[in-house]
Amino acid sequence: MDKSQQQNGGGGGGRDRRANDGGGRHNNRKRRHRDDDDDDRPTRRRYEEPLAVKLRKQVLAIGEEGLTQECADLGSLLASNWTEKEVQRDVVELVVQLVCEQPFKIPFVAALVLHANDANPEVAAEILKRAGKKAQSLLDQGDLRGFKLVLRLLALLQGVFEGDGIFGLLDDLFNRAVDLQAASSNDAIGIELGKIILLTIPYLFASTATDLVSRVQELLERTEIIATAPHPQEAYVEPYTGEDDEKPFGFESLIGLLQKELMRESENGWAFSCLARPYTPPDANDASPSKHEFPNIVIPSLVNTGAKEMFPETFFTIYSDQEFESAPRTEDIACMLLRDACIDTINVLDFNRISAAKILIDIDLYWAPNTFAPRGTPFDKLKEFEDDKSTWKPEDVIIDAVFSQIFLLPAPDHKLIYYHSVITEACKAAPGAIAPTLGRAIRFLFKHVDRMDMELAYRFMDWFAHHLSNFDFRWKWSEWLESVDSIDLDPKKSFIIGALDKEIRLSFAKRIRDTLPEPYHILIPIEKEKDTPEFKYESDQTPYAVEGRKIHALLRKKADESEIEEIISSIHTQASDLGVEDPLVPSTDAYVTAICYIGSKSLSHVLSCIERCKERLLAIGEKSDKARLQIIQSVVEYWHWQPGTAVNIVDKLLNYTIVTPDSVVQWALGAEGLGDGRVLAQTWRFEMVAGTVGKVTNRVRQIATARIQAKKQRLEQEQVDHVAQVMTAERESMRALFKSIADAVGPVAAGASDGLIEAEGAALDPDEVDFVKAWGARWERTFMRKSVVEECIVGDMAVLAKLTALEAEEVEEAPNGDDAAEADENANGNGNGELDTDVMAEVDIV
Amino acid sequence: MAPLTALTTRNTVDRLDKPSSYAASKNKRRKFNRGGRDGRDGRDGRDGRDGRDGEEDRGREPTPEFEERLRQATTLYVGNLSFFTTEEQIHELFAKCGEIKRLVMGLDRFQKTPCGFCFVEYYNHQDALDCMKYIGGTKLDERIIRTDLDEGFAEGRQYGRGKSGGQVRDEYRDEYDAGRGGYGRALEGDDYR
Repeated sequence: MDKSQQQNGGGGGGRDRRANDGGGRHNNRKRRHRDDDDDDRPTRRRYEEPLAVKLRKQVLAIGEEGLTQECADLGSLLASNWTEKEVQRDVVELVVQLVCEQPFKIPFVAALVLHANDANPEVAAEILKRAGKKAQSLLDQGDLRGFKLVLRLLALLQGVFEGDGIFGLLDDLFNRAVDLQAASSNDAIGIELGKIILLTIPYLFASTATDLVSRVQELLERTEIIATAPHPQEAYVEPYTGEDDEKPFGFESLIGLLQKELMRESENGWAFSCLARPYTPPDANDASPSKHEFPNIVIPSLVNTGAKEMFPETFFTIYSDQEFESAPRTEDIACMLLRDACIDTINVLDFNRISAAKILIDIDLYWAPNTFAPRGTPFDKLKEFEDDKSTWKPEDVIIDAVFSQIFLLPAPDHKLIYYHSVITEACKAAPGAIAPTLGRAIRFLFKHVDRMDMELAYRFMDWFAHHLSNFDFRWKWSEWLESVDSIDLDPKKSFIIGALDKEIRLSFAKRIRDTLPEPYHILIPIEKEKDTPEFKYESDQTPYAVEGRKIHALLRKKADESEIEEIISSIHTQASDLGVEDPLVPSTDAYVTAICYIGSKSLSHVLSCIERCKERLLAIGEKSDKARLQIIQSVVEYWHWQPGTAVNIVDKLLNYTIVTPDSVVQWALGAEGLGDGRVLAQTWRFEMVAGTVGKVTNRVRQIATARIQAKKQRLEQEQVDHVAQVMTAERESMRALFKSIADAVGPVAAGASDGLIEAEGAALDPDEVDFVKAWGARWERTFMRKSVVEECIVGDMAVLAKLTALEAEEVEEAPNGDDAAEADENANGNGNGELDTDVMAEVDIV
Repeated sequence: MAPLTALTTRNTVDRLDKPSSYAASKNKRRKFNRGGRDGRDGRDGRDGRDGRDGEEDRGREPTPEFEERLRQATTLYVGNLSFFTTEEQIHELFAKCGEIKRLVMGLDRFQKTPCGFCFVEYYNHQDALDCMKYIGGTKLDERIIRTDLDEGFAEGRQYGRGKSGGQVRDEYRDEYDAGRGGYGRALEGDDYR
């Protein structure tokens, strides 16, 4: 009892209370019980794990100690127990799965297979058979990443294959890639296949095979043409914009870089020195290893499945090619090998971010010894290293890889928050090592934020605020004091304002202010602390103050509509007398502001209030466009100091169709809303417009999927036509929406918008005009890209291609291949599974 | 594709998007209860998880579709919130996984004030799974929060099930937690007053 009290008391504070508390008693009872039993309890019979279970654990942990001996031990253990059915079944499957899920471990898995082969060739034969089947099925499903990883295993096993081994398959892949590229210059699958070939080659040199050089040289000469072909969409995926000398780096084709690195490595005698080579052959005088036939893999017809594949990949880095080499330079093949393995690890393991982070942090175990500097070596210490010692910081390499996904255009495999969470976990697991690396990343990104693509700058801001919210909101804000003094149009200032707003939304104003140095406090005025903003009609200075208050009182007591109508009419009469053009505007202001005021208590309060007032709100928009804009205006005005709440409410109003996507764009970017254009620097305005566009594009994507489904499910022609019609109509309104955005911000970018011209030399000085133009250009570029992305997915050509592919599929084989559309959805990160079940119902909800 | 295979084959590392043992065992307890006892299963509140599930208390029929419902779940139970965390804060974080259909705050059943849990409902099952993977175990309002797949909100479940109105776990807690009303209320009653 005493002991437990002492333990509990360690927490401090409430020690005296705990002397006789209930919880403690509860614990003690258990403890006493255990004490009595401890000594004379018969020792439990030791539980022996079945061999299959034990092997599973050992295989899973392969490479985790960075030891090569275990591969040998495990290989022979496997070989000597091969007669057990369970061992066979479990291990063969597991080995292949491990290859697909934990790419860092592939060289170790290969070593295991080679050792097993030395002891019992049957083991290797079985595993190779399974790997071949897996490669085929992944290829058939269009899972090129999985295919690439199994191929990597096979490349590492090249030494045990008869004849040409893997080269036959690589040739087939190359020929297919060339065919695809000949058919269309921006064929993504062709490029993807080329990348797979190039990423397989290095691992061949880590196998026991010899006589590789001439075959590889030949292959490389041929891939040159795929790797160097320019891609029409290059400009859209560049993370930074502007002139070359203004941005940290431009478009750097991933496949082009890979080709160059390999050429360079050929001059280095194909060293590939970063690759782990955990297999050591038995004594030379032993017989050479048993050989096997290379599994038969047939390349099926492959179809583009989503937007991601339609865009070229550019290489993103924070640490490479900096003055000091804390990560491999982009001319070094290690750069791409490490990056590729990191990205696959990250993207495959999204179902366990903690494991993903752990494996990443352990990166140095899985590559050749001395590839990296010791973990956690401070950046400044690296500079003191002797010349032959690696200065690559493992933390820099892995964090660079995570950021490459956050900053991937048009979109990464998973939701952005996944990548946030990987960074969070890495930081939690190794704070001392990761935090300084992150700090350098943040400084680099902030330094170039004014050249960053706007969507990416927004992602950076969103990540930054979310990240800080997991770490007590600690950041050295004093570093950025200079930008606080700048004007709000400065992208750096805009970033700061936006980030602080996001922090507040995750926390509260006072808390965030307390984390900031004094000069920042003006950015968080006292008004931001008010949970309930003032109701402007409380002041008699406000026109229609009496009516505003009356409406509020009536709404509060849930009065009859007729009573409210009476007050609204009274506003209309007064407004008409004053010569107001559209009397519905001031009455709408009063009505919506009252709703906001009542709803200020919480999101559900405002939602239930909107729900109650839905009919009138819907009628307002139908009667007058101006009044509909006023709905948005009133919400934003009421929540002036907490724009995030306004964005949220507008989002819900869209769901109710009380406001329309077009009205949101009109409000945000129409001549009146835009003014001289300085509002384009408001991050919440971008959030509102991007969110609205996102709703529209999602809907069109859903209908396009329904269109494909309709065909797949062989619905009646009449129904198919109906879906097709809806799709065409919705797609047209989506295009119109994109056009109205372009029409609004394009002229600002060109310096030709009326508002801007008017303000030039008056409200705006020349510097400010330049800033405004730059903002216009950033908006224009971002939404232009979004529109191109959508065309890739739901455009006429894209839908047609999918329908044609479906027909081909139907001809080829009976059912079973119905993953294409779904895979597409998932690839774009916004799957909506409901579609399969009721296509028609879905389409009819307009 | 992925979700189905995920349920049939084991991954090389555990998945974070599986229902907790609580959510899974709720079904078992429910089945067990039909056979006997008084059907007041949730009352023991072993981890004092959510509000009183009205239907459950009456010993609802064990539902064979229960697992099916979890397999399509769009709702999450969210626990270990501070009493002061607002709907807006929750919305801000959880919307990062997808559009939110409904958010129900857990309330003290007497005082009708937030008592540290909520239900978040998405439109899509995948969003709920992603939320398990990416948000569960991270911080909101500077507390590590817990998420669990839920079969779906039912009226009544928003209320705390503890004796004094809040969650059961807050009745007997002997560590001070400023975000959750200090010490356990039952303890306060015992020796503070």
